[in-house]
Amino acid sequence: MFIYTVKRFALAGLILIVAVTAMFLMIRAVPGDPVSIMLGPRATPELKASLIAQMALDQPIWKQLLIYYGGLLRGDLGIDVFSGRSVVEIVFQQLPYTLEMITLSVLWSAALGIALGAYAAAHPNTMIDRIAAAVSVSFVAAPAFVVALLALLIFAVQLQWFPAIGAGEGFWGRLNHLVLPSFAIGLSWVGYIARLVRASMLEVLGEGHIRTARAFGLSERRIIMSYALRIAILPVVTVIGVGMGFLLSSAVFTEIVFARPGIGKLVIDSITTRNYPVVMGTVLVSTGLFVLSTAIADLLNALLDPRARSAK
Amino acid sequence: MVPDHGARISVNHIKGEDYETRMDQSPHGAAQLSDDRDGPGRTAAMPMGFGGQAMAAEGSTLRVRSYGDMSTMDPAHSNGVFDEEIHASVYNKLIQYKPGSEWGWQLDAASMIEQADPTHIKFALRDDIGFTNGHGAMTAEDVKFSFERIIADETESPNKPDMGSFSHVEVTGEREGTIVLNEPFAPLWSIALPYITGNIVSKAATEAAGGRIGTDPAAESGPYLRASWSPKEKTVLTRNPDWKGDAPAWDNIEILPIDDENTAEIAFEAGELDFTRVSLGSVEHYRAGVPNGGTLVENPSLFYVWLGMNLDHPKLQNPKLRQAIQHAIDVPSILEAAYFGAVEPSTGIIAPGLAGHRQAGKVAPAADFARAAELMAESGETNVSLTLDVLNKTTFTTTAQIIQATLAGIGITVEINVLESGAFWDSGNNENLQLVLNRFSMTPDPTYATAWFTTEQAGIWNWENFRNAEFDQLHADAARETDLAKRAEMYIRAQDLMEESGAYRFITHEATPVVHSSGIIPALRPDGLTLLRYFGKS
Repeated sequence: MFIYTVKRFALAGLILIVAVTAMFLMIRAVPGDPVSIMLGPRATPELKASLIAQMALDQPIWKQLLIYYGGLLRGDLGIDVFSGRSVVEIVFQQLPYTLEMITLSVLWSAALGIALGAYAAAHPNTMIDRIAAAVSVSFVAAPAFVVALLALLIFAVQLQWFPAIGAGEGFWGRLNHLVLPSFAIGLSWVGYIARLVRASMLEVLGEGHIRTARAFGLSERRIIMSYALRIAILPVVTVIGVGMGFLLSSAVFTEIVFARPGIGKLVIDSITTRNYPVVMGTVLVSTGLFVLSTAIADLLNALLDPRARSAK
Repeated sequence: MVPDHGARISVNHIKGEDYETRMDQSPHGAAQLSDDRDGPGRTAAMPMGFGGQAMAAEGSTLRVRSYGDMSTMDPAHSNGVFDEEIHASVYNKLIQYKPGSEWGWQLDAASMIEQADPTHIKFALRDDIGFTNGHGAMTAEDVKFSFERIIADETESPNKPDMGSFSHVEVTGEREGTIVLNEPFAPLWSIALPYITGNIVSKAATEAAGGRIGTDPAAESGPYLRASWSPKEKTVLTRNPDWKGDAPAWDNIEILPIDDENTAEIAFEAGELDFTRVSLGSVEHYRAGVPNGGTLVENPSLFYVWLGMNLDHPKLQNPKLRQAIQHAIDVPSILEAAYFGAVEPSTGIIAPGLAGHRQAGKVAPAADFARAAELMAESGETNVSLTLDVLNKTTFTTTAQIIQATLAGIGITVEINVLESGAFWDSGNNENLQLVLNRFSMTPDPTYATAWFTTEQAGIWNWENFRNAEFDQLHADAARETDLAKRAEMYIRAQDLMEESGAYRFITHEATPVVHSSGIIPALRPDGLTLLRYFGKS
């Protein structure tokens, strides 16, 4: 398990380097003079020259990349061109907002999706199973931005149950402000996880050890909760790990629609203004999160299922 | 003084010559302006928003939307409107924009300001303004420091051009000084003093901060203090307990950066915002009624939108072809389809209300297809195909499609290139640029509009590569001209030259529609931008 863990994190590190390097090159390949865009029309040639030197844009790309990685090794992600603040400070100030939204989305969608999927699997081909299937597929098919806008109009404007914008203050305030965004991006995951758990459960329920448990006279409830679900849930762990990446993508539009702070909004603003240091800092952190979550999912899988370890 | 026709302000004390000072006079002509802050003259000129100031109530919070987040508390490095909204509330200037429907200014930190001669402006500061954090009373040294650091090379201020020909400030007393210009500079009164560069910071506090103010203010002096800033979420201003001027109406102001206008509209309708700009597409909806007893206010805007033609491109060398394009584009159709009929056609680059605004252009807004076809025939051009570069916003892509359709009517094929903002704003470097749909912002002085179309700007921001010696001269002379009527004539002629070149088809100045809740009296510049310190209560 130790060797597997080391290998998995080494791979994660490699993925991170490739992703960050690719992003570094891509942002520089995008058309548009970054200095003119950053400084605006009134910038003097002297000011432009100063910023070019400050950002090392007068250096060859490979050298810029080396400078960036040099800074990275020292824990220095650079300085925001506009505010003069440290990129580390900016990114880590925004990160909690995105993390709390994603975490709540995963939690509620996994809880509801697993329950729905397990219940449907325990009652296959019944009316409840068919309703659950229809609901699940509907959830999967509903685009998150449509859900977000409808949720805003119904629950914020019409009913005024939840706030429409912002992140709130204090624990309950922040939780209250998280309801609609996490509902919007988590809804499709409910359907997806439910379908996954149902299929996995049906497969597990047909296996020998479940038949043996039934032969021993254990209750159906105990068989499902204690034996079947533990195994059936394994694919969900992997999917949630990969899903973190999709949820990070969803955070971009969710943070804009709900006017929430977060790294999704930060990255869009930074790309638009060609604020290279902030773009790179945000990409590094979000890619790191994605790589970390998939690595943890793999490790959890390996821990729960020894076959996954040996298969590697 | 400010470039506005017909606006008048009554003043209480006229030092020197005995006449009523007109707001539309040149800086030179507006000599000797003084102000009694509590006097009847001021009350008579009380603009929108002032009425509520006496009605301050405890615990009241005004929630307004800003389209961007604050980036700095340093006026020298201000990135524009969203920084200035905050700076104007926590700092003071010698003069501030006057809220209302006509451009003008009013005294702020200055108790007196007068144009002694074309290059010297004398001022005296009020004696009741102090800086926070123990940095003492505001003095003329602070004014000198604030203005001179903007133009100092080591400050690297992107706002330095706003100071124009400013040279230095001579301190003549603790609270008295003289602003010295290298040459007459009319926009001093409409941009340099009442806008971003006019904010006065504490010399002692700024020097103690190492010469550059970051995202936290070093010392404040305005009617509000910046209580907190949550990046990308909210900036909170709170009443300055030491402020001795007119009490602001609101105890707190929350400024929420919201990019998306639809989101802002939803937040307004949910009761989470008191004031927001709304999209042009929503104007019709709000004209029918604003939820929660709110009000829609439709302001003109200073933006200018036009179709440009690159005069350096081989395909656009034929003036008859360019004129045919000018006449074939139907501006009313564009405004109806892309702007939902919520805006008016423009006649040039200078908006109504500013000196040099043309009452009519040389090419009427409505298309004249017969004339366009005639010009096309005269040009001798056939099978013309052109590219049209536009920004990836719905308004511009819709406009481009209408232009594409109308130009097809005279045999011109248009291929639309939709570009992301970074790529679009780099079009000055695009040698293959042919047609471009463009939109520039403005400050309330015409020199800011013509500045981008000089020969010097060709290939930088003058994407049409319009080069005209007379235009260049007019631009330079008009900035120095202190007679408003003469100045207006110069800018009108400059726009005539632009249109005559065939490189421009002017479309609109857009509009700034805003909605506000029933409890507030907004204080807005004539172009709809907020002056938060003057917001009142109804």
